[in-house]
Amino acid sequence: MRRVSPRLWLWIAAGIVVVNGFFPAMWIFLTSLKTEGELTRIPITYWPAHPTLQNYFKAFSEQPLERYFLNSVIVAVSATALCVFVASLAAYALARLHVPRRGLILSLLVGVSMFPTVTLMVPLFETFLALGLRNTYVALILPHAALSLPVATLTLISFFQGIPRDLESAAMVDGCTRLGALWRVVVPLAAPGVFTASILAFVNSWDEFLLALTLMPSQAMRTLPVGITFYQGEYVFPWPLISAALVVALVPVAVIIALFQERVVGGLTQGGVKG
Amino acid sequence: MARPQPRYRRSFGDLSERALAFWLLVPAALLLGFIALYPVLRLFYTSLFALQLTVSPDSSFNGLTNYSQALHDPRFWNAVKNTLLIVLVTVPGALVVGLGLAMLANLPFRIKWPVRLGLLLPWALPLVFVGLIFRWFFDSQYGVVNDVLVRFGGERLLWVTNPDLAFWAICLTLIWKTSSFVALILLAGLQTIPRELYEAAKVDGASKWQEFWQITIPLLTPSILVAMIFRTIAAFQTFDVPYAMTGGGPGNATETLAMYVRVQSIENLNFGYGSALAVLMFLISMAVTLVYLRYIRGVED
Repeated sequence: MRRVSPRLWLWIAAGIVVVNGFFPAMWIFLTSLKTEGELTRIPITYWPAHPTLQNYFKAFSEQPLERYFLNSVIVAVSATALCVFVASLAAYALARLHVPRRGLILSLLVGVSMFPTVTLMVPLFETFLALGLRNTYVALILPHAALSLPVATLTLISFFQGIPRDLESAAMVDGCTRLGALWRVVVPLAAPGVFTASILAFVNSWDEFLLALTLMPSQAMRTLPVGITFYQGEYVFPWPLISAALVVALVPVAVIIALFQERVVGGLTQGGVKG
Repeated sequence: MARPQPRYRRSFGDLSERALAFWLLVPAALLLGFIALYPVLRLFYTSLFALQLTVSPDSSFNGLTNYSQALHDPRFWNAVKNTLLIVLVTVPGALVVGLGLAMLANLPFRIKWPVRLGLLLPWALPLVFVGLIFRWFFDSQYGVVNDVLVRFGGERLLWVTNPDLAFWAICLTLIWKTSSFVALILLAGLQTIPRELYEAAKVDGASKWQEFWQITIPLLTPSILVAMIFRTIAAFQTFDVPYAMTGGGPGNATETLAMYVRVQSIENLNFGYGSALAVLMFLISMAVTLVYLRYIRGVED
């Protein structure tokens, strides 16, 4: 057998990883450009014969896709803001201040992050039903914020721990209060950590399905994952519409991870290694 | 104290350290208390009652009846079996594929972003969308999988309507979706292994195979364990992918525990029984978590 050059091996390796990661997204994109007639032809075509954007127009006109999109944005942005704000306060205390039973609190955080979502779903459904909060944004924002709170807090703790204590002490000697020092010195330096935690919380909320399906099921309140899953009829699966809607729903997350990949990887693996 | 403390302005910022720490932790405690701890307590409580809204809005205490009903419910055991099979197939599957991807991604590429994005994209896709996309892949008439099978001389398979094939289609989908997260964790682990170890092994005449088993695997074990525990806990909760691909069907052949809990509690509004099922699921999940916490403690000590 002929020896393959090391450079070629690199290309093959990169190709495997890239193709493996991209083929479903690519395929759904190609599908979204095909006409309905082309999609129900055998043998199937791989490249769209007559690329068209009509599926995108239909995806918006036959279903309130823009409403689903808006719901997803409202929930994900609010849940992220709430989660990261609450997590920053807690992480600062746990990283910098004397907290009795710190180890126990950290263990509780990790423990809570392992609660199966389904077990929270049943009582949350009951509670929100009783409070008349089902099909309101609050019903989904609070659980989404809480679900990302452990990972956001743990991410932020390690960022806070990386900021030299002397900077803070210096600000306090110069007349800042502790909260003043926190606001003027620690917060700007922790911005990358806050950012990383925000991306993780945003993606978690954007992707979440089970609670969105259960707590905000009315058509006007569906988020993208729920709304698009309900495109299917009883027996027919409108693939042209679904594929176009999926592309619309995937773009924001794809852009975020493409722009901030290093942060996302850092946040994910840190959470993984530190628990 | 010997040294006089500098006097600060009297303001909100003038709290003692202990008091400040307390107040900073209160919002997190409230949020988790309301969304995690209270629901779990309520779940245990409700599981002891007969409460089905479609029958009556009133609940009556019935002790452990719901639990004994669960133990005699064949659909519950079917869901347990399916869930455990999914864990047993997809966790090792994702670990093997993820390790392969991580080792490929760890090669010395000059431009790193395409490979990194190739690992990140599957992680970022919503599970339920992955389920929808792969349902399209596995479509018996217009799906890519059957098209490829036919082109290579095979025959069309009824992926979604045959119980066994539906199970494997779900597992393959889950392995694809989750192996990239595993790969990211393992890649971080691989990058901490000193290159000198491999160079020394090369000097000693070790083969690639020996390097892999004598250096890579032992040093990667902590990362592998972390990825395995994360995946086990998540796989145990599998809901989105079978929901989108088969809806639990054909029949209940691919129904998971999470799906059955939802059917009983939300669709049938049988809160009592649904809660008991959820408690059983919660207990198994927490047992895994305790093992995990013990492991983390062990690493820190």
